[in-house]
Amino acid sequence: MGTGTGEVAAFRNVSKSYGRVKAVNGLDLVLRPGETVALLGPNGAGKSSSLDLLLGLREPDSGTVELFGGTPREAITAGRVGAMLQSGGLMSDVKVRELVTLACKVHPKGHAPEEVLTTAGITEIADRRVDKLSGGQEQRVRFALAVAGANDLIVLDEPTTGMDVSVRRQFWAAMRAQADAGRTVLFATHYLEEADSIADRVLVLHKGRLIADGSSAEIKARAGARRIGFELHPSDGRAPDEALLRSLPGTVGLDVSTRTDGVHTVRIRSTDADAGVAALYKAGLYPRGLEVTSLGLEQAFLTITGEQDRTESEEESAR
Amino acid sequence: MTTLIQLEILRTLRNKRYLMFTVLYPALLYVFFISAYGSGGTVAGGVSVKSYFMVSMATFGAVGAVLTGSAQRISLERKSGWTRQLRLTALPGRAYTLGKIAACAVTTLPAIAVVFVIGAIEGVDLTAVQWLGLAAALWLGSFVFAALGVALGYAAQPDAVQPVVMIVYMLMALFGGTWFPVSDSLKTYARFNPVYDYNQLASFIHGQGVAGAAIAALAAFLAVFTAAAAHLYRKDAQQA
Repeated sequence: MGTGTGEVAAFRNVSKSYGRVKAVNGLDLVLRPGETVALLGPNGAGKSSSLDLLLGLREPDSGTVELFGGTPREAITAGRVGAMLQSGGLMSDVKVRELVTLACKVHPKGHAPEEVLTTAGITEIADRRVDKLSGGQEQRVRFALAVAGANDLIVLDEPTTGMDVSVRRQFWAAMRAQADAGRTVLFATHYLEEADSIADRVLVLHKGRLIADGSSAEIKARAGARRIGFELHPSDGRAPDEALLRSLPGTVGLDVSTRTDGVHTVRIRSTDADAGVAALYKAGLYPRGLEVTSLGLEQAFLTITGEQDRTESEEESAR
Repeated sequence: MTTLIQLEILRTLRNKRYLMFTVLYPALLYVFFISAYGSGGTVAGGVSVKSYFMVSMATFGAVGAVLTGSAQRISLERKSGWTRQLRLTALPGRAYTLGKIAACAVTTLPAIAVVFVIGAIEGVDLTAVQWLGLAAALWLGSFVFAALGVALGYAAQPDAVQPVVMIVYMLMALFGGTWFPVSDSLKTYARFNPVYDYNQLASFIHGQGVAGAAIAALAAFLAVFTAAAAHLYRKDAQQA
């Protein structure tokens, strides 16, 4: 345990409840140096609670949270962690430059304020009052506070909320530069395309549990990441047999609809589309208008969380 | 830590509404009281109206400055999440509260000074040592209320903090001799009112000697308020 094993952060069987609600439920997780990790989950999945625990803003009811082999507070005091919170307010009645300067000065390994203003893309608004900024500008100031020093880990909770598309692109460019400099980045988001294109590891939280952990490609594969679509015409012979379609290799989902003229439209969600299509022909079917498309991470995410919901309600009705 | 304290002071001095309220309001009230009671008169105990209200308006301004400056701002910044953001820096937890108290301490000086200047113009006659001693006593005394303000800031929710502060402030002023001297029958209880004790700090300029009992009482209040503030701060840190 500890820094020797190269762990940036570790949750060990961590739980946290607020009243009756289990916000975080037995979370086990290790972040390694240099990873860019996306934390996904629907609202109320426990993303913000997990980040609060990681940063030591709250204490877990059970289990332990470690940052760089010590307590979160020790890591913060040593200047190893920078964070941007969704609920992090800013000081009013001060200028952006003054606030950034404060953050740089109190950081044990602080950068020069001008450099941080440039990194966050807020040089033009440096002389504006903090209370007179737009939502997107405020987010960039928060980001500046998170990168005010040479942190080893940067934690961002919904960082691009309120940013328009071009600013968001700039923001991720800045973020990537941080990751390229060897920093570990953990960000919570509900923009799945951000997770898909930026993260090299994706975590899916649902109802306080970690239900998926892998690369974005692995998560898509697990959800049945490709869709096979085709039509079966009565004139081509064999009628579709649902049992047969379901038995195709890799099939995790099936949907068949029939038009009045007897044409069947088939949609299959598959983890192995190549084998699935080959088996289709082998079975003597003649699929028309065959299409194989890949699912986005968003679809994968909905599938995984939906499966989890179903499993849970089945468990509950079985009790 | 000094950077944060400097910035807290700077932003407080930039807030014009706050300065108007804490500095000009007691000064205007002072002018009003002198004309209402008659500038040549005395209040109970033979103290001149000009001198009595100079002290009570200086303390009124100082208490108002520290209570609103600490309680209101702390409560609002707890809500906005600024206190959370600060906990993600290497700054020790006490830096924030110390910054607030320092900013308050800076604003009490003009609140006291403006009333003193009016008093001097109206003819309050003190020696240089008395002026300085009184200013120092009232300035130091204001820290008791800064501690109370910090406690209220952590105790009250943001939407309730303003009325709570106002009620506490006005009740203490009403029974503390701010607008009229405390009657003899109420003096037994007034010792338990920090504003009364605060006003008593000025007794040495009225030839009544140094108010040892008031100093002791204020020291006790300071200890209680500080303990309460520390407790409420820790409770808040666990919940934030």
